[in-house]
Formats: sequence, C-alpha cells, structure tokens
Amino acid sequence: MTSGAAGTTRPVPWQRAPWQRVATGDDAVAVAERAALGTSARVAVWPPENLGAACAVTGDVLAALDLQASRFRPDSELSWLNEAGGGLFMLGDGLAEAVGVALAAARWTGGLTDPTVGAALVSLGYDRDFAAISQGGEPLGIPALAPVPAPGWPLVRLDGPLLRLPPGIRLDLGATAKGLGSDRAARAVMSATGAEGGVLVSLGGDIAVAGTPPRDGWPVAVAEEPDQAVPSQLVRLAAGAVATSSVSCRRWRRGGAVLHHIVDPRTGHPADGPWRTVTVAAATCADANAASTAAIVAGARAQDWLTTAGLPARLTGHDGRVRRLGGWPADDGAPVPVPRGSHVYPGGPR
Amino acid sequence: MDPSSGGVPRRESIRHARRMSNWTAAALIAGTGTAAVALAYQAHQATAAGVAATGAGVAPAGGTAGTAGTATSAAAGPAVAHSVATTTASGVTVTTTTRTVNGKTVVTRVRHAPAGQDD
Repeated sequence: MTSGAAGTTRPVPWQRAPWQRVATGDDAVAVAERAALGTSARVAVWPPENLGAACAVTGDVLAALDLQASRFRPDSELSWLNEAGGGLFMLGDGLAEAVGVALAAARWTGGLTDPTVGAALVSLGYDRDFAAISQGGEPLGIPALAPVPAPGWPLVRLDGPLLRLPPGIRLDLGATAKGLGSDRAARAVMSATGAEGGVLVSLGGDIAVAGTPPRDGWPVAVAEEPDQAVPSQLVRLAAGAVATSSVSCRRWRRGGAVLHHIVDPRTGHPADGPWRTVTVAAATCADANAASTAAIVAGARAQDWLTTAGLPARLTGHDGRVRRLGGWPADDGAPVPVPRGSHVYPGGPR
Repeated sequence: MDPSSGGVPRRESIRHARRMSNWTAAALIAGTGTAAVALAYQAHQATAAGVAATGAGVAPAGGTAGTAGTATSAAAGPAVAHSVATTTASGVTVTTTTRTVNGKTVVTRVRHAPAGQDD
C-alpha cells in the first residue's frame, strides 16, 4: 500500500496571516478577514463575542481543505492523487466529500462543471497559484496553447471513500471547493459556538450563512467587477448562500491570447459566452459556486439552465446589460429568495 | 489583532489518499454498502420523526434535495444596516468600510491583493 501526502505537510504562507478586524459601521456584528487559499476569507458573527472562536475554527477548516483539495500544493492529497497515474484509492473523509460534491455538481450541471478539467487548466498555464502566474507575465509551463477537453466526469467513480481514477485524468475541484469551504466553515462555527447567534463566511466572495441571521438578513454587496468602486447592489441573505463567477478576474496572457480561469470542459478553452459575471443564490455555497460557474460556461444557454434549476441569479453581460432571474430582487436592500434544495450534497444539508 | 487563538491546523485525524488492491476494495465496497443500507434506514426513521416533531420550520443552513420553498425572511437577530461582505469574483479582495457622516452613509471600498498569499 502506498501512502500519500501523510507526514510531509508544512504551513503555507497564508496560514501565518493574522485575522484583521474589519469595521463595517455596525457594532452588533463583528467582522474579520485574512488571506486564505490564494484569496481572502471573511467571517462575520453575532454576537460579536463569538468572533475569536469563529476565526479559529474557520482557519482550521480552510487549512484542512487546502491540504485536502489544493491543486497548487505539492503536499496536498489531491496533488498526490493527480500524480499517482490513476488507480483505485481510498480517500480521507474530507477529500472524499470534496470529490463527491464536485461529481454531484457535474451531474447536476450536465457537465458544465467537470472536475476532470485539471489537465485543461494546466495546458492553459493555470498550473500554479494565480499570484505566480500573474507576476510572471510570460508564458509558464507549456509554451503553446493546446486545448485539452475534459475527459469527462462519468469516467471517475466514487463509492464512499473509494475512488477509481483512470490514468491521465487530473482532477480540479475549483468549481465547488470554495463553496464547500464556506459551507464547512459556517457549519463549524455554529457547532463551535453552540449554535448561538449567526455567522456569515465568505471565501473569495462565495458566501455562506448559518444560524439566525440579522434582522432582514445579512447585508451583502454584489460587485460585478473586481475593482468596482461602488457595489452594483446590496441584497439581504437570510439563509443559504450566494456565489459569483466572473471572467473579469484571474486572467493571464499566454501566446498572445488573454485567458481566464473558467474553462469550458467540452473544449478545453476558456468559456467565451455573453456573460462576464454571474451571481447565484442557492441553498448551499457549493450549489451556488457550481451554478455560477456553470452559467458562465453555458453562455447563451445560461438563462434557460438557471431557470430550469430554479435559482435566483443576476447576470451581467460583456456589454454591461444586467439580467435578473428567479426572483433576484431589482431593489437595493431587498431579500434574495433562496431555494432550500441542495443538488450537490447527497443525503441532506451541508 | 488576531481574533483567532487557533494555531497550526489539527491534522492527526486526517486520513490520506492511499492506493488499494482490487481485493481490498471489493471487501470494503461490500462492507460499505451494507453499512450504508443500515444507516440509511435508521436515518430515514430519524428524519421522519424529526419532521413530525418540528413541522416545516426555516432551514437553518443548506437543505435537502427536493425540498420545496424558499427562505427570505429573517428571525430575531440584531439590526445590521451596512454590508458585511461582498460577493464578487474569486481571488479578489475587496475591503468595504462603511461609516455615517452627517446622517449619510459613506462607503469606502479598497481592492488589494491578499497578504500572505500562498505561492
């Protein structure tokens, strides 16, 4: 039996970053933020006294997720799996859940998200943390753009902790992992605080809430563009989650072409549909994460897919046109109606 | 300041990916299947009892596939007027600071690369 990443781990730089308090203008909630998983994590809680415990457990949850499912850490379980050359594997509980959620999302979206897209991302140059790509400025890894369509998620079989991975398939859990992290952290905070009050966890802008929300819901800003000076809208989230995907960020230049990180599994090329940013509300953050990514990939079919899925969504086209679906509010400060069914957590709530 | 008192993440309980033989896998699959059936039966009974006891309350976090309805209204938490987080594209850190000046809400948003970003 071959052991995987056991015993070879080391703390990565973001794990040493301290939580920083964030002033929001309300004393009834406490908010803190830190770097995490190549992006930022934010925790908001009430009562404010729970902030320390909330940050501690969120840090633990995200560190564990990074160790399980990061494609950019050579000592992660996922990296070991991708380098193993295929076979039959028994996964740890955390990675098994992460892979299961990714496969469930692929099934739900009809392959618009697909965890077997790993080789396609590597071929496009997204083979390391995005900070390393953007700083280099020059093509990294493979010099020529060679699109690699995803082999297809049905080839991957997961039965409980047992994973059968065909040779040559590299997994990437990017369409669901951040949402999964927010879900896990929100649940863990409520457990650590004895289900007192409520919590909001944001991982890279993918937000999950749990417990009792503030009156009228957690106020959440919606930003279409990464560097937007003023948010496009303020909505209220009383339960569930909201996530945003965009082709406006995590872009890099390669072989004269500007690429981004959302790849169409069917072609291996970055998605090139009419929507630049999609925000989706769902019962869980993994659901919302998968749906927003799927909508970007679906392109012209995004509205039909989201409508069929029954998800509230806000889509912004490359021309700036905004489209709201599924009861997404038009007014500032209005509540988002969040459906209660999860499609990616088989067996029940997150 | 660091509101967290947590240190290096706990890893002792994490099991890792391991390559297996087909015979070992077959035995585990059979065992897992049996256990899953038994647990599913018990879970079904427990869920049914829980629903009967609690009625159709607000789903606290997440939901079960196929469950109808939406959640928009909030319970009795505190009043919070200003946004506490921003949903935006991944990999982007946007810090929002809100303050009230002369009765008007002033929102300051700063975009920055996250400190300590992993490499």
